[in-house]
Amino acid sequence: MTRTISTRARTILLVEDESELANEIKIELERLGYLVRTASIAEAADVARVGDAAMLIMDRMVFGEDSLKTLEVLRREGVKVPVLVISALSSIDEKVRGLKAGGDDYLAKPFAMTELAARIEALLRRLDDVRTTKLRVGDLEMDLIEQTVHRGDSKIDLLPREFKLLEYFLRHPGQVITRAMLLQDVWQYHFSLETNVVDVHISNLRKKIDARGFPSLITNIRGAGFMLNADA
Amino acid sequence: MLEFFRSSAVRVALAFVFVTVVATTAVFGLVYLQIRAANETRNRVILEDEAAKSVNLSVDELRYAFDLRLTHDLRRLDYAALFSADRKVMFGNIDELPAIPLDGKSHFVAASPLPGDKRLEPAVFVARTRPDGTIMLLGRSLLETLAFRRIAQNALTTGLAPMLLLALAIGAFFARRASRRLTAIHDTIAQIMKGDTHLRLPVRSRHDAIDKISRDVNLMLDEITRLLVQIKGVSDNIAHDLRSPLAVVHAQLERGLESSDDEELRSVTRQALAHIDRAMLTVAALLRLADVEYGPKSSKFRPIDLSAICTDLFEFYEPLATSKSIAMTLETKSPVQIVGDGDLMREAVSNLIGNAIKFTPENGKVSVSVAQEDGRPVVRVRDNGIGVEPGERDKIFQRFYRTASGHRVPGSGLGLSIAAAIANLHDFDLRFDDNAPGAVFEMVGRRK
Repeated sequence: MTRTISTRARTILLVEDESELANEIKIELERLGYLVRTASIAEAADVARVGDAAMLIMDRMVFGEDSLKTLEVLRREGVKVPVLVISALSSIDEKVRGLKAGGDDYLAKPFAMTELAARIEALLRRLDDVRTTKLRVGDLEMDLIEQTVHRGDSKIDLLPREFKLLEYFLRHPGQVITRAMLLQDVWQYHFSLETNVVDVHISNLRKKIDARGFPSLITNIRGAGFMLNADA
Repeated sequence: MLEFFRSSAVRVALAFVFVTVVATTAVFGLVYLQIRAANETRNRVILEDEAAKSVNLSVDELRYAFDLRLTHDLRRLDYAALFSADRKVMFGNIDELPAIPLDGKSHFVAASPLPGDKRLEPAVFVARTRPDGTIMLLGRSLLETLAFRRIAQNALTTGLAPMLLLALAIGAFFARRASRRLTAIHDTIAQIMKGDTHLRLPVRSRHDAIDKISRDVNLMLDEITRLLVQIKGVSDNIAHDLRSPLAVVHAQLERGLESSDDEELRSVTRQALAHIDRAMLTVAALLRLADVEYGPKSSKFRPIDLSAICTDLFEFYEPLATSKSIAMTLETKSPVQIVGDGDLMREAVSNLIGNAIKFTPENGKVSVSVAQEDGRPVVRVRDNGIGVEPGERDKIFQRFYRTASGHRVPGSGLGLSIAAAIANLHDFDLRFDDNAPGAVFEMVGRRK
């Protein structure tokens, strides 16, 4: 029984008609410890209905068929499994349509596997509990009601956007956070940047929250993004 | 004015005037010649007939008849005289026998003195030797014919002047109208060449030659636009088809990097990954551009505030500017409302501000301002960085164009193209201006 649950918790259904890309995604995710099953859109829907998958990755178009229709049907039936939509269509309109149809996140091709992995982890470990009022990592504590941040006994003054940035990290401790995720979720910017402006924001935040003589709470993950050290 | 006379329409008008004048003159001339010929024939017949009838009269009868003719029948004869065989005048109203054959046929004499007058006038004479050796001379002045010619000439000149003016006026009217239409066509073509490929030449329902050509040109433009879209479609398809292979190669390289301990191999792989990243960035930007340019017009057009968008982006970029010791300022007074897609506008302005910071050296200045100028919304991003060389200014909005000085700065070279496409989608113009030193990029609404 325990085994079933843990298997389910690591099972990802992949609906992707480009076999080579599907294969790469499978290899990468299996390397990260997930169980990946490639499936047709109909198979995936059936598995999702009986609750045998932790999440779905679906290409927007599979063999010329719009998979968003199936997704909409699933959502109407009350199936709550997290769904990541990947697509060759990159316009914001398409992104919005993907999310409206019931997708939890949307990734446009071409993407790096690190980006995909980070999104998957964020979806699987999403803290849906909106009643949370305090977020904590080590001796860093954020009070969401008071809108204050303390490290140990000392209060840290943050600008509103810095507060949101830190909150995002605190909600995803120990996870790889990509620059694209921060742009999309913290700033609501749906475009890519050719400047390292996000890095500057992170470095400013670090200067405020890091304690002298200790390793930084937020570390750079080469070629991927950043991570908040959960066990700091 | 010179332009005006050079236009083909004016030339046609002038030719029209010329032909009208020639035709009218010819008609007048023909009428005159015919009347004159008829007149001359009549004169000749009368004179010859008169001479033939009078040849056998006695001298006294002749004298009587001449008197009668000259005093009572002015209409038929103007000259009548009898000369002796040695050509001395015996009686009559002419003193000298003109130099014509004495054959009873009418002859034209260019100048002969009028009776009781010193003036010389052309006339027609018939001279005939009588059985007694005397010479009888009858003649008719051509004064009447000349008077008629003068009348005809007067009519021609008085009639021709107004007609000439009328023809000129009509010609000018048609020329103006034609040149107005040509100007409209010229302006439209200029705009099409500037990139408004959806425009077409004006066609009216007259079905004249200009309309016919306009229609043909429009068909040609349709075809060119179709081909253009097809070509862009091909390049977009290439970008589209590159996505998956790029993603796959990227994944494989990442995997290779993870699984190898050979430092040399890892270093090479990392470099390859950096290149693939750049290629992916370019492909993504190219597809983004295609989306903005040819995708269905965003359904998300709603009232948005450019001031709020710029303020938000200003706060986003300020830390980056500060890290380069660039002083960044923002100038907004009141909300600047437009109808548009907020996400796209943010992207466009973000590209402009990002560029400004990218191309401005340390300790430089970047300023962002939003305002309503002459009722038009304007977003202006000004820097005092490296600017754009005069020779490159018209190329910076082209796809992939990167200035010589900007080549060292990483980027896809599509940022400005995307910004321009987004501006165009919102009925804005994206313009470059020299800030001496530095650059000013402004997005200006086309409509108030």
